[in-house]
Amino acid sequence: MRPCDSLKREFLKKWMMGLQSCSSSNKDMSILERKEAIKLSADVAMACARNGATCWSRALIAAGAHSKHGAPREYSNKRIRSKKILKRSCRIRIRRRKRSKCSAQVGRASSISKGLVRQRTRILKSLIPGGESMDEASLVEETLDYITYLRAQVDGMRSLVDASELDR
Amino acid sequence: MELNAGAGGNGSHKTASERDEVAALESLQFTDEIRRLMSAPGGDNASSFTALLELPAPQAVQLIQSPDSAKLIAAPAPAPAPNVDDFRGSFQFPFNCGLIDRAARFSVFAGDGNINGNNKSNSPEPTSYNSSASLQKPVKNEPAETESSQPLVSDPTVENRSIKRKDREKVKGSSKKSKTSAKESSEDAEKLPYVHVRARRGQATDSHSLAERARREKINARMKLLQDLVPGCSKISGTALVLDEIINHVQSLQRQVEFLSMRLAAVNPRIDFNLDSVFTAESGSLMDSNFSGMVIPMMWPEVQLNGNRQQYPQQLHLDAFQQPVSGREEVCNSYLTPENSLLSYDSSGNSASLHSNQLKMEL
Repeated sequence: MRPCDSLKREFLKKWMMGLQSCSSSNKDMSILERKEAIKLSADVAMACARNGATCWSRALIAAGAHSKHGAPREYSNKRIRSKKILKRSCRIRIRRRKRSKCSAQVGRASSISKGLVRQRTRILKSLIPGGESMDEASLVEETLDYITYLRAQVDGMRSLVDASELDR
Repeated sequence: MELNAGAGGNGSHKTASERDEVAALESLQFTDEIRRLMSAPGGDNASSFTALLELPAPQAVQLIQSPDSAKLIAAPAPAPAPNVDDFRGSFQFPFNCGLIDRAARFSVFAGDGNINGNNKSNSPEPTSYNSSASLQKPVKNEPAETESSQPLVSDPTVENRSIKRKDREKVKGSSKKSKTSAKESSEDAEKLPYVHVRARRGQATDSHSLAERARREKINARMKLLQDLVPGCSKISGTALVLDEIINHVQSLQRQVEFLSMRLAAVNPRIDFNLDSVFTAESGSLMDSNFSGMVIPMMWPEVQLNGNRQQYPQQLHLDAFQQPVSGREEVCNSYLTPENSLLSYDSSGNSASLHSNQLKMEL
């Protein structure tokens, strides 16, 4: 699925604005810092293009704000931490119930596959920004969204790089 | 007379088949209702109605359509359980509301004195699982004969019970009827806002597993969308492998972003992205243009010029803007760098070369 042009345009516009604002004092930065600044501005632009309607965009914006201030990160961390605690307690309760219910057959294929799926879900959660505090259904939704936006971002960045290299 | 005899003769048969049905579907309530109906002093209609309940669909249909129902009542009812199962599989939701209405109407139509008694006893009856399936066909054909002007005695209650019945269609004689009906009795009869999950054969049907199954199906639908989105995922079957592919895709995209940003950082260390004035002007043209590629040639020369010469870009902007603009695209083209290869981004590249030459002169 090609990202539509309007999406790319949105992203590019916002990105240029972000780049301009954050690289005005560009001369002294090392290359890594510049790269981080560019990436950050691209991410924030992408998230803004989504208008904060999705979880990952809000998390990205929060992470972007963190690079300048410390407060938003703490808030998001607290929320994430409390949700983790809650989920862990629920999981323990469910696990206790399941253990009492079902028989302890380790070699069952379904349990193995479920374990694999759970592991992959955990990895995916770590990949998607803000994915820790999401249940499976919304996680899948966010992934869908995130992939389209990532594609648009990559396309935009690539065309900019091509344009810059053509200049040589 | 004939009907009564038939009804009486079939009374025992009915109880036998009814007992089978009850045994198969575990509904004591139904037995009581049937017995009460049978013992009611109502005449032909009541008994024929109860007989309808036992009969499988096609025979019941014939029963309704034919005026002399006695012969058909006499026809033995084969084990209703398998037919009920078939009905369960093919049962449709919107079908049900109309059926309940018509069931009520039919009972109203069936007689006078017994109607109310039958109606009251029949309306809880349709909620029981056993009667629903066999009531489908007969009640459906019934409006062809009854006047639809018959007012329903207990319309809203019937509607509510129709909801309960729908739920019981899903639930295979589960003991949690009250729970689900309590959940659903508050819903509208016309449009239930939640997803209908049909209980398949051999699957647990309590409300927990129903909700879980609905959730599972939702997740699976979204996974299908993801599979279409990620290239190469549509052939893979199995959640774990699909998730693997998705993870790889996301990781590769994120890595691409990193590499591209690194390249951008390395390309022009002296780039000064001074795009204030450009953006306010370009936002309008951005909306007009159809190609995102055009955006790059628009912005890039700006970037480059700003990096090399601070004073000229401003003049260039003003010049470009003050040019008589025949079309927006020409304004954009006027920003083009001397590289002709950038023109490949444009669709209308004919006038671009001219403008790039002008740019060269200016630079």
